[in-house]
Amino acid sequence: MSAAAIAGESDAPRRSRRKPEASMLIVAFAATVLGVLFLLAVLADWVSPYDPLQQDLMSALQWPSSAHWLGTDDLGRDVLSRLIYGCRIAVIATAEATAIALVIGVPIGLFIGYRGGWWDWIVMRVVEALVSIPGIMVAIVIIAILGPGLHRAMIALGILFSTSFLRLTRGVVLAEREEVYVRSARVVGASETRILLRHIFPNIAPPLIVQTTLTVGAVLLAEAGLSFIGLGIQPPQASWGTMLNTAAAFMDLNWFLAIPPGVAIILTVLSVNLLGDVLRDSIGRGIAAAAPPPASAPRVAPLLARAPSDSPQSSRSDEMLRIEALDIVIAMPGATEIPVITDVSLAIAKGETLGLVGESGSGKTLTGLAILGLLGPVLRMTHGSIRLNGRAIHDLDQKALEAVRGSEVAMVFQDPTTSLNPAFTVGSQIAEVLRIKNGLSAEDARRRTVQLIDRVGIPRAAERAQAYPHELSGGMAQRIAIARALSCNPSLLIADEPTTALDVTVQQEILDLFRDLQDEFGMAMMFVTHDLAVAADVCNRIAVMYAGEVVETAEVDALFADPRHPYTRGLLSALPQGSSRNPPLPIIPGSVPRPGTWPTGCRFQNRCDRRVEACEARIPLVGAERMVRCVHYQNARLKAVLS
Amino acid sequence: MLRLVAQRVLALVPLLLIVSVLTFSFTSLLPSDPVDLILGESGTQEQHDMLRKRMGLDQPVQVRYAAWLGKAVRGDLGTSFFSSVSVTDAVLQRLPVTLSLTAFSALIAIVVGVAAGVAAALKPQSLADRLATLGATFGQAVPNFWFGLILVAIFAVGLRWFPATGFVRFSESPSDWLRSVTLPSIALGLSASAAIARQVRSAMVGVLQQDYIRAARAQGLSRSRVILRHALTNAMVPVVAVLSFQITVLLGGALVVEQVFSINGLGTLAIGAVRQQDIPMLQGLVLVMVALVVAVQLITDIIYGLLNPKARPS
Repeated sequence: MSAAAIAGESDAPRRSRRKPEASMLIVAFAATVLGVLFLLAVLADWVSPYDPLQQDLMSALQWPSSAHWLGTDDLGRDVLSRLIYGCRIAVIATAEATAIALVIGVPIGLFIGYRGGWWDWIVMRVVEALVSIPGIMVAIVIIAILGPGLHRAMIALGILFSTSFLRLTRGVVLAEREEVYVRSARVVGASETRILLRHIFPNIAPPLIVQTTLTVGAVLLAEAGLSFIGLGIQPPQASWGTMLNTAAAFMDLNWFLAIPPGVAIILTVLSVNLLGDVLRDSIGRGIAAAAPPPASAPRVAPLLARAPSDSPQSSRSDEMLRIEALDIVIAMPGATEIPVITDVSLAIAKGETLGLVGESGSGKTLTGLAILGLLGPVLRMTHGSIRLNGRAIHDLDQKALEAVRGSEVAMVFQDPTTSLNPAFTVGSQIAEVLRIKNGLSAEDARRRTVQLIDRVGIPRAAERAQAYPHELSGGMAQRIAIARALSCNPSLLIADEPTTALDVTVQQEILDLFRDLQDEFGMAMMFVTHDLAVAADVCNRIAVMYAGEVVETAEVDALFADPRHPYTRGLLSALPQGSSRNPPLPIIPGSVPRPGTWPTGCRFQNRCDRRVEACEARIPLVGAERMVRCVHYQNARLKAVLS
Repeated sequence: MLRLVAQRVLALVPLLLIVSVLTFSFTSLLPSDPVDLILGESGTQEQHDMLRKRMGLDQPVQVRYAAWLGKAVRGDLGTSFFSSVSVTDAVLQRLPVTLSLTAFSALIAIVVGVAAGVAAALKPQSLADRLATLGATFGQAVPNFWFGLILVAIFAVGLRWFPATGFVRFSESPSDWLRSVTLPSIALGLSASAAIARQVRSAMVGVLQQDYIRAARAQGLSRSRVILRHALTNAMVPVVAVLSFQITVLLGGALVVEQVFSINGLGTLAIGAVRQQDIPMLQGLVLVMVALVVAVQLITDIIYGLLNPKARPS
């Protein structure tokens, strides 16, 4: 399929945020940066080349040199030394503010979460009010009360950031309070303090650790900001924020002054944030479960090189759709391709309904999506052809495919409540297609939309067109989805389990609707279902699929009268009515093997009660009017021919 | 929609009330006596008493609060202790400055954040995705005022494309206004755009896996139409839900970034008020900011309702 990367159907496994090796690298980087920071903070008196306060006006605003590695500031003080002493301030400041935030936030959160009632209400309203003021303004007001300076500014930041700890703690307590173990502790008469400390507190620890890392980063930035505007650490004390304050005044003379403290802040905050991300990922999911190893492709038996196709199908003149020897694989970068569809050939005549029947995992839906060219980036068609009205559509480019979709082939999906866009009215979703695909004016599109909604049996169509998907029942939503699919008079309609998600009573109505509409619109239909009874109801012909291949095709009556593949027989016997016609058979044991675990030869052999040695070899699909892929049938035919 | 607005507005009244009590009681905690601050050591006892009376400081705190609130409701936020200008006038005069800075940076943050987030989500693990994720991680670690300094060094001092300092009102000259707010707004919008990009990416990755996206494609709608209309509309729902928080952060950040560019906005006013312990000014500033935040919340709530039909009261 040339049109590979299509937005929207990326079946790629949701990416775990980072691979384990990547997070190890990140942890190593962050730990190194923070380790150096701590060392410099502790050893500042010994490692800094100069006294950070020693002025030398003769050598002010110097660029980096061998004497002053990072240059000098406006008073001739050594930038490197000030930067190193700034580490100490940064460590003290963040430790102080974070500790204050924890000491204020956690106990209050524990208390109001556990107590609830008025205390909780009042404190939470105050917290809401605080949170609705920009943080820096809260800090400014508190500093107005306390006065500027390192410790007082950090008290301000501590109060500011305590709200996030408070809310976090309260939330966890509210959740834990009603847990069984807490209740039972209460029943046996444990004191409230004991319950809080012994039983509830341990559950708060993991999210608190994550929140603490995030707070440290935010405190660092806030402290630098406050010092920069002159309300935090006061000169001449060296902090990264005050250094930037100095730098700001001399940007035109020596811009380099801004670089060392800026880089120091960025590196530190970056390290703390990255550490927080990794912590959150590992605490949130459990480190072991974070990333399952990439599915190593199981050994796949090489498909036999085959003649043009081992499943010949008589060509008919009134053919609408013809799929020939279709192969589809899962193609993940860096992994062996895994076949999911092999050698599928199907044909549907004008006005005919073909049922595609099989358990889930047999490849029915994929066959439908392949017709539309909607396989997505992971799946790839590697062999075969798909022809619609005699025209090959499997190698069309994106633009041409878009012209085919909707107008020539349309699809109705399994779950109507998820296949309609929740953000738009159902009418607008039909009208959009009419305008874009058929070029109708807005007014004409609206009128036609109402007609279509009316046609699929929804009363008060004009009014219902204004409804949003969530306001409709499942059956109603599926009617809308059908109306949308029919809006451009497609010559082929693919219905993918269109009644599976619906109530049993609604199912029959929808099936009747499909039959009526097909008569009226004269289109061909491909009806995908796992339910043979449903297929019997609406289809002319049935193709039974198993593990990515067609195992039997026949007219409905013939199939029910004389199922030839053991799998078909198994499916039939699983039907409630089936058992009256045939001797009762056990429900087919096991399930469809996953792609990549298919046995060589007959893929049904492990679940088959008639398995023989010959099943190990590859079995072709043989026959003309009806075709079967089974060694027993093959032998029967062979004998018939020989005798 | 009207009902939604009415509901929200009503819900905001108690919030504003609580904030006003908070700010009033906080600022009443100021350690120094404003009368001493104004008169210094020099005034006589009579002068002190007279001023105290004139400022209403001899009244109990709840009476002062009631009087202040009564005036505040009518738009009178009192008079500055030091410049004897009306707080309302001072704040209103600076408001357009900070507001245009905040609004323009919000616009930049949203445009850049959404574009980067969508680009990253379209092809997970691609180069674009990695770049966007890296950029977002860095963007949240860079102090906005430092980024402002660097922008000044490059684009104002070095290339001379923009002025290094100052602010021109939109009413005076729209083109000069644009030149004066561009650098500060970029500096301010950086970290918000990083946060928005992260949110858009994760929301968009989720939405692109939805059935309705595949169904829209199956209906033959073009890729760009499906991404920009069908997917983005849904992906913006969770983003808009936290957008007011981002804008609150921008408003706070504007106070600091103003200092980098010597812009005379609310930040300068607030810093001056702290230094002078100008109580009425601080009270007024806090109240006006909360009102702004509340207005932003209201607007984002309405947009949220428009994007998400399930959130509308039926």
